[in-house]
Amino acid sequence: MKADGGIGRRVLLAAAAAFPFGAPVGAKAAMRAATLDWAILETLLALGHPPVAATELVQFREIAVEPPVPEGVADLGLRGLPNLETLLLARPDVIFNSNFYVALEARLTTIAPVEGFTLYRPGVAPYEAALAMTRRIAARLGIAAAAETLIGGVEADFARARQRLGPMDRPVLPINLGDARHFRAFGFDSMIGEALRHIGIENAWTLPTSYSAAAPLGLETLARHGEAWIAIIGPVPPDAADVLRRSALWRALPAVGAGRVMWLDPVNPFGALPSTQRFARLLADALVASRGDARG
Amino acid sequence: MRWSQAVVTPVADPRRRWLGALLVVALALIAALAARPVVPGLEETMLWQVALPRAAVALLAGAALGLSGALLQHVLRNPIADPSTLGIASGAQFALTIALAYAPGLLGFGREAVALAGGAATAALVLGAGWRGGLDPVAVVLSGMMVSLLVGALSATLILAKGDYVLSLFIWGAGVLDQQDWGSAGTLGIRLAMGLAASLLLLRPLAVLGLDDAGARSLGVRLSGVRLAALALAVWLAATVTAEVGVIAFIGLAAPALARFAGARTIRQVMLAAPLAGALVLSLTDSLVQLGGSQGRDLAPTGAVTALLGGPLLLLLLARRRAEPRRHPASAPVSRRLSRPLPRLGLLAAGAVLAALAALCLGRSAQGWHLATGPLFMELLPLRWPRLAAAGGAGAMLAAAGLILQRITGNPMASPEVLGVSAGSGVGLSVMLLAGGASGPLLFAGMGAGALAVLAIMLIVAARLSFGPESFLLAGLACGASCMAILSVVLSSGGMAAYMLLVWMSGSTNRVGPGEALTALGAALVLIAPVFLLARWLSILPLGPGASHGVGLPVRQARLTLAVLAALLTGMASFVVGPLSLVGLMAPHLAHLAGFARLREQLAAALLIGATLLVLADWLARLVVFPYQVPTGLFAALIGVPYLLWLLNRAQRPRCA
Repeated sequence: MKADGGIGRRVLLAAAAAFPFGAPVGAKAAMRAATLDWAILETLLALGHPPVAATELVQFREIAVEPPVPEGVADLGLRGLPNLETLLLARPDVIFNSNFYVALEARLTTIAPVEGFTLYRPGVAPYEAALAMTRRIAARLGIAAAAETLIGGVEADFARARQRLGPMDRPVLPINLGDARHFRAFGFDSMIGEALRHIGIENAWTLPTSYSAAAPLGLETLARHGEAWIAIIGPVPPDAADVLRRSALWRALPAVGAGRVMWLDPVNPFGALPSTQRFARLLADALVASRGDARG
Repeated sequence: MRWSQAVVTPVADPRRRWLGALLVVALALIAALAARPVVPGLEETMLWQVALPRAAVALLAGAALGLSGALLQHVLRNPIADPSTLGIASGAQFALTIALAYAPGLLGFGREAVALAGGAATAALVLGAGWRGGLDPVAVVLSGMMVSLLVGALSATLILAKGDYVLSLFIWGAGVLDQQDWGSAGTLGIRLAMGLAASLLLLRPLAVLGLDDAGARSLGVRLSGVRLAALALAVWLAATVTAEVGVIAFIGLAAPALARFAGARTIRQVMLAAPLAGALVLSLTDSLVQLGGSQGRDLAPTGAVTALLGGPLLLLLLARRRAEPRRHPASAPVSRRLSRPLPRLGLLAAGAVLAALAALCLGRSAQGWHLATGPLFMELLPLRWPRLAAAGGAGAMLAAAGLILQRITGNPMASPEVLGVSAGSGVGLSVMLLAGGASGPLLFAGMGAGALAVLAIMLIVAARLSFGPESFLLAGLACGASCMAILSVVLSSGGMAAYMLLVWMSGSTNRVGPGEALTALGAALVLIAPVFLLARWLSILPLGPGASHGVGLPVRQARLTLAVLAALLTGMASFVVGPLSLVGLMAPHLAHLAGFARLREQLAAALLIGATLLVLADWLARLVVFPYQVPTGLFAALIGVPYLLWLLNRAQRPRCA
């Protein structure tokens, strides 16, 4: 596609978004996808088919970090309050939606056909749903092979991590810190929990994921899991880390005393395959690095 | 002073009451300690670094709030002043929220300093607004609670805007006392000791302050300096508590009242007894919250529970007040009455049409501003007209509800938002959401029922307690605060219901489709038409029951019908724009201000103005921070709250004696 004088900036941007790596060989006009959901956004990016529009890109770049969002993807604003006019003007051919934004579905269908997914359901392990979602999105976009490549890559990474770590004698407790006194734990019904299962690590948190915007669990709950490694998944609220280091309870926790705490870079807590892959990699790195320090 | 400080019957032996209270609190504390979760291997730490510091923090924070409340009440000569009713606590919390979201580096200087800045700013705002009116107690607290509402709405928007930091913002929203070392207890203990010492130093000048200004000045006390010092002390104590444990509402209100109830009379007695009472009340609440929970999780945030109890307490304090001399209530601004209203109504209608056109045509996209015409217009129309129709319909409904409420209560400052009716519809909504209801009609039924319930309570309160006009408003705000506390318990429980509630509270027209828009318009037509037919009732009711009976009006029946109508209007409108827009307050006033004095004219004008206001707010809300949208209800409230503050301030001026 060439830019002659008659083509406006928007067309160019849209073209850049639709064909991020140059025009795909042999493709007809590629499907223009859009989404409100971050798990779907990262899936589209990892499939090599960035959406024309998605939500809260500023935060996404900070929290989900990868895959990188190319310039030219229209920012729809808040996930709770997406800008529908911008969505319309991005001219999507298909909108992928999730159960979190099902309230908006009726509005979305007036803009483009909507395909909905339910990845997260309290009490249900989401890995199979994530595979199915990845495949269905790819099929819809006519790039079915890309889904298999992505899934193959993720599972190869899992296998590599399993190999690096060897047999693990201790479980891991994956958490998000809300503040210095509260956390949110990820159980078997989260993609974080699924990542643990796939790299052969026991999840210390046997209850369902604490689904909520708030971090509902008091830090003392961690004391019940004295044997586990604690994996603190970023982002960590700015003042929480300092307060924590001074906290008497925190220092009294067996895992903390034995140096079994890992601070991981930010991961999209409710993501799909790509953030699961990222988490598995970050965790394996951290475990390998810190097992040397804290034998036991 | 018209207040009932001295009306309380003297107690035979105050010491007995204190002993009894101490015993109850101690028992609850021991029960909570005994019921604490057992963590194998960490029993000692859990007792010494978690359970006991928490017990200490409850006592110390309660005492600090009690002292802060006692100082505020004394200095302002206002028995309903406290850090929460003056907006100090929410200001402090808002400052922490902003700092956390946008300038986390600031928190490095210390949470306390940030909280103090926020608390001091809101205190200055609220007291500054009431200063010229001689700091009339009810008016000052009214402003304080309005500012709290506004600041709460701004916080909700920040939460929406900042994705992941939601976690801690929620927790700060309703104070929690969990501890894991003695850090907070130490900080609070030192601040409390310093606060008590400073209060004792101020005791003599403060006692003089209890006299009237002239008397005090003649004794050579520099009034403003003493007042300012005591105020600063109170704000600092409240800000410290907020920085350490979040917003714990109404303890500062309850403590001095309890102290007086237990027999404290002189300022020295109150200054000592109020911290003690505050400590006992907060400790008891916190023990109960722990006992009511399970598996180491509290029943609800402690701060939300105190806020829940605060509403009824405020009502009680208001009811104890001696009969208020019937003053001329704060009236809506008036200008000259129009002799020929039709041309001006036409003007208003033209304005509404212009606003609608702007909302339909003028927009913003990634490329900048655009005027949508031709095919682009037709394409954007299906997205824009439902918002427009819903906002306009909601504005008209709120205007009608506001006018009805102002007439049946005889109170020109009444409105669905101020009387807590909108918040009541939120409680109805959350009940429906928690019960698993998701369909529009069910949710709406819940909201209507919630609105009606609150309105019924308010009307009963008004009838039984013969409140003056401003106390009545305050009772409404108190009722609204209790409803908001229920909502914050639901919010802190998390889950899907919490998410939907948060979206609703911020008041967004985003999810409105043609179906909802037509429903809103249809409801507006069906519900507003009878208001025109009932114009006679509405013009007679404000004259009072006697006069109304005299002209053969079935007062009871008329009030009931109109109340149901207002509740339905409010429920439907808040479904679209959330609980907080204040259009219901502003629209009837602006209509009056424009010279529409006869009821039907005022109603017609208010409808047009209300619709225009919300349409404009909705339009601007999607433009100002494109592509991010400000919730519509919030945007309207940003105009409404300053208006109300101005109105309150203006109404007081002629009256300072």
